[in-house]
Amino acid sequence: MVTFPGSMLGGEGAVLRSQLQRFMREHPTIRVVQRDTPDAADQRHQLYVQWLNAEASEPDILQLDAIWTPEFAAAGWILPLERFNPDTNAFFPVTIEANRWQRRLFAIPWFADVGMLYWRTDLMPRAPTSLAELEQEAARARARGLRFGLVWSGARYEGLVTVFLEYLGAYGGQILQGGKVVVSSPAGLQALNTMRDEIYRSGIVPSSVLTWHEEETRFAFQNGDAAFMRNWPYPYPIMGDSAVSRVAGRFAVAPMPAASNGAPTAALGGAQLAINARSENPAAAWAVVDYLTRPEQMLERARVTGQFPTRRVLYDDPALAKSLSVPVATAREIIEHAVPRPVTPVYTELSEILQVQLHRVLTRQIDPARGLARAAAEMQALLNRAGLGPGTPLAQH
Amino acid sequence: MHSTDLRRGLERREARLAWWLVTPAVGTILLVALFPLAWTLWESVHLHDLRMPWLGRPFIGAGNYAEALGDPRFWSALGHTGFFTAISVTIELGLGLVLALAMNRATRGRTLVRAAVLVPWAIPTVVSALLWRFMFDDQAGIVNAVLGRIGLTREPIVWFIRPDLAWVPVIVSDVWKTTPFVALLLLAGLQNIDAGLYEAARIDGASAWQQFRHVTLPLLKPALLVALVFRTLDSFRVFDLIYVLTGGGPGTSTEPIALYTFNSLLQNLRFGYGSALSVITFAVSFVLAAAYLRLLGRDLTEAKS
Repeated sequence: MVTFPGSMLGGEGAVLRSQLQRFMREHPTIRVVQRDTPDAADQRHQLYVQWLNAEASEPDILQLDAIWTPEFAAAGWILPLERFNPDTNAFFPVTIEANRWQRRLFAIPWFADVGMLYWRTDLMPRAPTSLAELEQEAARARARGLRFGLVWSGARYEGLVTVFLEYLGAYGGQILQGGKVVVSSPAGLQALNTMRDEIYRSGIVPSSVLTWHEEETRFAFQNGDAAFMRNWPYPYPIMGDSAVSRVAGRFAVAPMPAASNGAPTAALGGAQLAINARSENPAAAWAVVDYLTRPEQMLERARVTGQFPTRRVLYDDPALAKSLSVPVATAREIIEHAVPRPVTPVYTELSEILQVQLHRVLTRQIDPARGLARAAAEMQALLNRAGLGPGTPLAQH
Repeated sequence: MHSTDLRRGLERREARLAWWLVTPAVGTILLVALFPLAWTLWESVHLHDLRMPWLGRPFIGAGNYAEALGDPRFWSALGHTGFFTAISVTIELGLGLVLALAMNRATRGRTLVRAAVLVPWAIPTVVSALLWRFMFDDQAGIVNAVLGRIGLTREPIVWFIRPDLAWVPVIVSDVWKTTPFVALLLLAGLQNIDAGLYEAARIDGASAWQQFRHVTLPLLKPALLVALVFRTLDSFRVFDLIYVLTGGGPGTSTEPIALYTFNSLLQNLRFGYGSALSVITFAVSFVLAAAYLRLLGRDLTEAKS
């Protein structure tokens, strides 16, 4: 018997149930039992940590957020997967990289979430190719009476870090290099200054975004109030429905554009499948993981949930074009620009430090240089305390 | 001689029986109050980070406490808690007193008024916090709509991104929710004052203000103190209201100590450090409670004599 906690809700729950049914018909000796777990990432994470910390052998399979793999791997809670000879070349390299810890693979990417730019096809002929052009177009749209130029999720939570990561990449910066925090670089400062100026100088981003999560940005864009939106793939099919959306048929997606010294960047999210290190039946658990991440299941999942498959080859398959609502070529282009968030076991705590300081800067409680310097100092102190600082063996991922 | 021995034996047996009878109660208290406290104390002197199991769980003495005392976020959280407590409790006592005096006067529909006043108190904090968050929403909230209509503001105020203004919804919703509780407590105090005293004061020519100042206030003092103690200790533990309304933001500028502790313990899973924060919060509340109890105790004995 293999236990698997996963989402039971909506189309996602239904497609998973039917795939597991099919798996059991093909493998009559393995019984897969689904466990109901909270959908909210924080709660699921907390539950997993409690189970694994108590050395429970169940659940056998874990559905991980992209940022948890190194944490669980460093704790020794999930199995390295080389023994099963996974076909890592079939996947986008970035999705594999996010699941490695100390050069070993600990989880198989199941589907990918990427940050992207939604733009209005009725307001401009093509997607902006640079950050400067994006800002110009946004200002022009506002001058013509649109309420907002650009909206992104800027509340103090993980979403703010993913937006910042994309601006950072647009200027060629990084958060972490080895065990060293490099976020307070000139690129980091440019990125944060840009975000702040978009709110307070050019005014293309409303200051309300500092209380917004993904959904509030979607409402603004869907109601036709914004020229641009930075969001994940999930709003795409919803906003194409003219019953709920005022922009149905009038929007498209593109990679977030870059400044001259950086590259278009998409924050990588999504789900991975890993195996509990104390599982009593790792071979059977692997059989399930392998089955769920096969091309056919990924295609079916893409059709039902709109989630992007992680297998590169599928993007040449005409079946995917029929399944995915986002144009396949655009989806592939964006995934190829994806970067993982810092791959470190203490990511969640690092992120919290960064969230606080970014939000303090963007609500004008501290200036960008001091805010970033403080964030960098606190993050470095955390890494050092965890034994993950520069020069330590754990720092090499 | 013989009978006193017998009596002493009986007394001893009775005392022993009494001990047996209270054992379950004492045991329960030990189990539910002292055991978690002792456990928290034990955790607080260890490095115990669920996210970093490779560090083990070593004893580090006062290390977590030293970290807290050197942590600016801890001090500002403590400051926010004190600020919130002082402001909201002051307003609640003032407003509660006015309400209580009014309710004491009202003769018609008294029960109805009292029941109605309790409605905010009866609503779960999370629900009322959500309601207030919608009302203070910068786009669709009624507060900005009203302020704009009466011409006080031109642009809608984004309440939750201003470190100063973010306190307004927090304090308004706390006052709205808990003033009725204070008012009812004070009303009970008012009704205990002998009406003859007011009659005597009037005969002596005391004005309404003099009656209030020299009759009502001194005799209401015990009730006022009880309300003060309850509200202070309650506000000091504020969590759900701020968690829902501001999440402690913008940045961490409305983060109270309970929220920071929750964050360290349950979000970051730092059991050692979070426990140290819990112990500090407990110690501060304990000192506050003890100080109030002394004040209250003395006042009650004075009132008796």
